[in-house]
Amino acid sequence: MSEKVRVIGLEKHFGSLIVLDGIDLTVNEGEVVCVIGPSGSGKSTFLRCINRLEKATGGHIFVDEEEITNKKININKAREEIGMVFQQFNLFANYTVLQNIMLAPVELKRMTKAEAKAKAMELLDRVGLSDKANNYPSQLSGGQQQRVAIARALAMNPGLMLFDEPTSALDPEMVGEVLQVMKELAAQGMTMIVVTHEMGFARDVADRVIFMADGNIVEQGTPAEIFGNPQNERTKEFLSCVL
Amino acid sequence: MNLNFTRVLNDTLPLLLEGTKTTIGIALISIFAGLLVGFVSCLMGMSKNPVLKSISKAYVWIIRGTPMIVQAFFVFYAIPQFFPGVTPSPYVSGFVTLTLNAGAYLSEIIRGGIQAVPVGQTEAARSLGLSAFKTKIKVVLPQAFKIAIPSMVNQFIITVKDTSILSVISLNEIVNNAKKGIGMNYRFFETYIVVAIFYLVIISALMILSMYIEKRMNNERKG
Repeated sequence: MSEKVRVIGLEKHFGSLIVLDGIDLTVNEGEVVCVIGPSGSGKSTFLRCINRLEKATGGHIFVDEEEITNKKININKAREEIGMVFQQFNLFANYTVLQNIMLAPVELKRMTKAEAKAKAMELLDRVGLSDKANNYPSQLSGGQQQRVAIARALAMNPGLMLFDEPTSALDPEMVGEVLQVMKELAAQGMTMIVVTHEMGFARDVADRVIFMADGNIVEQGTPAEIFGNPQNERTKEFLSCVL
Repeated sequence: MNLNFTRVLNDTLPLLLEGTKTTIGIALISIFAGLLVGFVSCLMGMSKNPVLKSISKAYVWIIRGTPMIVQAFFVFYAIPQFFPGVTPSPYVSGFVTLTLNAGAYLSEIIRGGIQAVPVGQTEAARSLGLSAFKTKIKVVLPQAFKIAIPSMVNQFIITVKDTSILSVISLNEIVNNAKKGIGMNYRFFETYIVVAIFYLVIISALMILSMYIEKRMNNERKG
């Protein structure tokens, strides 16, 4: 398996507050990595550093051997290869579902309008929302919005998908439909880094689970290792609270 | 007291209609120019360049911090004294004053609209690889304008009414022409009733137009 993401000594400070304190991590092509941990442990900040929505204070991040943390690279080009799904969906309120998905491929000249539309309809079919193509985001439920958001990110054919607590803002009955789409995506071999509180999802789908606390990776391993036999005290304490 | 609207209308109506043309004309071009000035000022104010930022802030501060009547006097009387040879007509002075005035307020209104668009919209667009510029044009500004429309309409109404202040620099708009009529017949009461009705009609038309536009935009949203 080839290497998709490499993180070396990643640090992030907000003033005197140290949010990330030297993270090292390698993610291989096709791997699904779930990041778990208490709130404030830096999980989301870590994820947002990978596509530079957050600027790292120190350390290096490589995606496809291109250094994201290098100020001189064309970050827009790099981001085209990295899809991101947000906790709050963030669908463009001024566009229909179809336009949301078509916007980036068309604007970035990846596809013609016709190609982008065909691709969008195919993706909507995949997430089970073909009938919502001409609706506006405000007319959709949270679960539907998040599935559209996944389709929108996939429209650029990214090689890596980042999920920032994708089900945390959803009503409980809608969590399943979003996780189902993510499961299928994982099964198709997408490289995924998922910050989540869904322990069931992490256990079933992840190749590797990372436990973060206080800006560090405290422990990592297969789901069986982390959930079945955690070694670190912090991990044990956290899991005893959430399981 | 005897009311004599017939006399007033006979004396004043042609003057008022003439003044209405001037009022609507100068208000319209000032609103359009003010939108442009406001938009540019807003972008300057939100840019990272400290010089552009300061220019925008100073402009908004000066306009908001001084009465429009002073601004009008400044453009019409003070500038020609300082630059002999530059003698703008009341119409040009009025246009400049109204534009600068509306521009400053619209600059703040548009800024408020942009800031009201959730930051997640920008993050989502940037995460897809769109540039900061494309994100503004395609995602942020359309939403910002929609948010800002009610406040902008409010500013347009104020601009229409502010044309009356330009009577002090002898612009022949509604109020100034009404005064000329009063000079003939001393009918203050009837004249200003009629003047008030003129403004009410103009502003009402503007409000109906804006309600129509807002409704259309909302229907569009519903698909």
